[in-house]
Amino acid sequence: MSQPILETKNLSKAFGGLIAVDKVDLTIDTGKITAIIGPNGAGKTTLFNLIAGVYPQTSGEILFNGKPLKHSPWYVRAVQPKLNKKIFEDKLQRHDASHKRAALGIARTFQHVHLFGNMTVLENVMTGQHPRSKYGFFGAALRLPKARHEEEMINLNAIKYLNMVGLGKYTNQNALSLPLGQQKLLAIARALATEPKLILLDEPGAGLNALEKRELSDLIKRIREMGITVVLVEHDMPLVMGIAEWIIVLDSGKKIAEGTAAQVQKDRKVIAAYLGEEVDSAEG
Amino acid sequence: MSADQFVQYLMSGLTQGSIYALIGLGFTIIYAVTRIINFAQGEFVMLGGMLSYVLAVKEGLSMPLAIIIAVLAAAAVGAVMYLLAIRTARRASVISLIIITIGAAIFIRGIAGNRFGVNTVSPPDFTGSGSISFLGAYIEPQALWIIGITFVVTTLLYLFLSHTMVGKALRACAINPGAASLVGINTKAMSLIAFAIAAAIGGIGGVVIAPLAMASYNMGVMLGLKGFVAASIGGFMSPITTVIGGVVLGVVESLAVGLDWGPFTSAYKDVIALVVLLLILLIRSGKLAAAERAG
Amino acid sequence: MLAWIKKKWNYFAIAALLIFLILIPFDWFLSRYTSLMIIIGISTMVTVGLCLLMGYTGQVSLGQAAFYGLGAYFSAVLSKTYSLNPWLAMLIAALATGAFAYVVGYPIFKLRGNYLAMATLGIGLIMWILFNQLSQYTGGPDGMSGIPYLSIGGFTFDTNFKRYYLVWCFCLAILFLSQNIVRSRTGRALRAIHGNEAAAESIGINVNQFKLKIFVLSSVYASLAGSLFAHHLRHVSPQPFDFLASIKLVVMAVIGGLASIWGAIFGAGTTRFLSDEVLLGFNKYPQLDIIIYGLILMLVMIFMPEGLFIAIKSFTFWLKVNWRELPSIMKRKRKELPNQMKHIFRRLLLMRLWRKAEP
Repeated sequence: MSQPILETKNLSKAFGGLIAVDKVDLTIDTGKITAIIGPNGAGKTTLFNLIAGVYPQTSGEILFNGKPLKHSPWYVRAVQPKLNKKIFEDKLQRHDASHKRAALGIARTFQHVHLFGNMTVLENVMTGQHPRSKYGFFGAALRLPKARHEEEMINLNAIKYLNMVGLGKYTNQNALSLPLGQQKLLAIARALATEPKLILLDEPGAGLNALEKRELSDLIKRIREMGITVVLVEHDMPLVMGIAEWIIVLDSGKKIAEGTAAQVQKDRKVIAAYLGEEVDSAEG
Repeated sequence: MSADQFVQYLMSGLTQGSIYALIGLGFTIIYAVTRIINFAQGEFVMLGGMLSYVLAVKEGLSMPLAIIIAVLAAAAVGAVMYLLAIRTARRASVISLIIITIGAAIFIRGIAGNRFGVNTVSPPDFTGSGSISFLGAYIEPQALWIIGITFVVTTLLYLFLSHTMVGKALRACAINPGAASLVGINTKAMSLIAFAIAAAIGGIGGVVIAPLAMASYNMGVMLGLKGFVAASIGGFMSPITTVIGGVVLGVVESLAVGLDWGPFTSAYKDVIALVVLLLILLIRSGKLAAAERAG
Repeated sequence: MLAWIKKKWNYFAIAALLIFLILIPFDWFLSRYTSLMIIIGISTMVTVGLCLLMGYTGQVSLGQAAFYGLGAYFSAVLSKTYSLNPWLAMLIAALATGAFAYVVGYPIFKLRGNYLAMATLGIGLIMWILFNQLSQYTGGPDGMSGIPYLSIGGFTFDTNFKRYYLVWCFCLAILFLSQNIVRSRTGRALRAIHGNEAAAESIGINVNQFKLKIFVLSSVYASLAGSLFAHHLRHVSPQPFDFLASIKLVVMAVIGGLASIWGAIFGAGTTRFLSDEVLLGFNKYPQLDIIIYGLILMLVMIFMPEGLFIAIKSFTFWLKVNWRELPSIMKRKRKELPNQMKHIFRRLLLMRLWRKAEP
């Protein structure tokens, strides 16, 4: 059994007085499809944001392939514990590590899609190839041969990923002209273009109809077959139970249960957490 | 520097700082209620100063009347600016709003330059000239007026914001405009009031500083920048901290020039404001942006 | 045939523009505008940088004239006082200005929010003060003269005619380079930042660094323009680099279109034409130029926030697609207008009554 691709140890995130993630220990096994479920406000998206590096954790560690993910440069980390934390917390939030994590191999999608509305479908995916290409200002400005070659590769790869999600015929349309379901697929294609090892899908099924959800399940399985570890946050129970090999349940920022679909369904704490909660699979 | 000189520079710093405080209050009010940085703030100051001169000296009105009209006119300009330029822009992006307020600023400046000419003018002091001796330093009576009026305005503003319905509504908008409108507060009207008040305070600043430091049609830019620095120090949220910021800036400026430290001759004293600004941006504005993200 | 022309419209437009530009300095054409066109070309170089900055990072520089002035003064001082080769001086000036922009921009772009505007406003003012005060180096408020011409080998750019082509070669080179940048991976990254910063960050784009790079690029463009300016007039003074100059540059960028490259020519051209030709005749109405700039900034940003040129382009595109339906659209609008006015009046009236009824 290989090393887990992602681990969190005692991970916590507080926004002022509100504790969104409370001492969560997670292990995500490489190559599997893991689902994180829980009632609204359980901290699922916050957890994703922490893993993706959008903001630093208040305490605890995140390990990617065994190596801890740092959020701030070494000189800030050296000084920070000795000084008043408050002064530096804002500074830390300024040191954006999320772009580095994409290069490391962590990709994500957003609940609200967040496509680049000023670009075509193809260009959105081509932009996803950014961390896997190199040429910069000079190469671009002077149209050096190396740059042109890289650009061709980017183009081909982008088309490949578009075809993989089934949007191959929409390449030159504006990204926002697609209906929501296809926009979500485009976002996944864009995330795939970063050639990640781990992909975090935040409510990929929200707003999709039954047919689209089935296609989404198939897509997620294909992603797993590519060797990419998938973690998804979802509210649609049938979707989750159908494809997840491991389920982690959060409630109010704490992990309350984990296991296979069968185990989790029977867990009393899970049922209690959802009691009275509307598990509405059609919510957007 | 001897003790006397120190006090002298301290007093002049306090005076200048009061002006920066008043301008900064304008920035703070507008930013807090509308999240807009109003680059035309300095022009309201200019209007106050220029109008008080024109009305009192050229038109021969009595000083108190000229002052009142000047301040009201500045407030009116602020209100009109909001209605015509800001409100019509609706969901404009940040960069659009910045350019719009800049456009308004130079538009106002152009009209002022056109109507009032490019000369530097000086309205008469409120009470007679002749320095007063105070703690070993000489201070102009006008400076006392400046400090005093700043204190009064700040106090009135504070009372207004904490004890009147409108003031509380303004604060509600500052904290959360969405929630404020949900409880029935007309956020657009509040924005209008914020602009009018900020312009009025700016006008008051112009009226009191003009007799001492003279006024001209292009005084708005530098003063606006310094008022912005004052508001940055104060974090753009509270009138008290803004005033503190203004005074700090004024005193630091004055002492730096007085200490004759390095190249800070009086021509360079404006550089200090920028240096302070960059430092403040580094330290303080992190909180500002974090607050933006939370609110 | 007609369809082929319509498709390659862009290339034809650029070709026409190039021919027009090449012919201007000839006496039988428009040679009396040569000097103005040199200034327009120089201004375009600065404007492109500003357009890229404003269009792709969403931040405004209100002190771009500072970099313009730095380029001019560096070139002037290095080539005159230190007798350095003017081309070398230009290169050093560009590098120095770029480094300065990097140092200043680094802390600013690390912050979320829009502090660049005020910071650049301050920098612009400070630079102007320094240009005036450091008289040993800069010649103070009167500036310095006797700056050498640029020359290649034995060929000296000593007439307006020769300098016109030099400036426009630089200008067009910068426009082409910028276009290449925008159409590349870098350009996509910039457009991604413009489209959605959080998403851009999530796919590995270092947003802050890109914004900083564009800021530095814009400063380098401005510096090169300033150097050319110094070698054109052979005299530099603080006057052309004041706050008003920075505002004029913003006006040029706004008219030319934020995030537009070729629009920069339009923006710089119209603004310069306005300020240097048209408005000179209105001496009786002082400050008219400032008033007009203020109006332009406000009106364009309120009604056409992408910039005037882009709005015109969109309109002509719409026209191209819908020209057949124009007469019916006009008829419909004329019929609808009285109805629409009634609607507006009714709404205003209701608002008045509703407000009166409130406790």
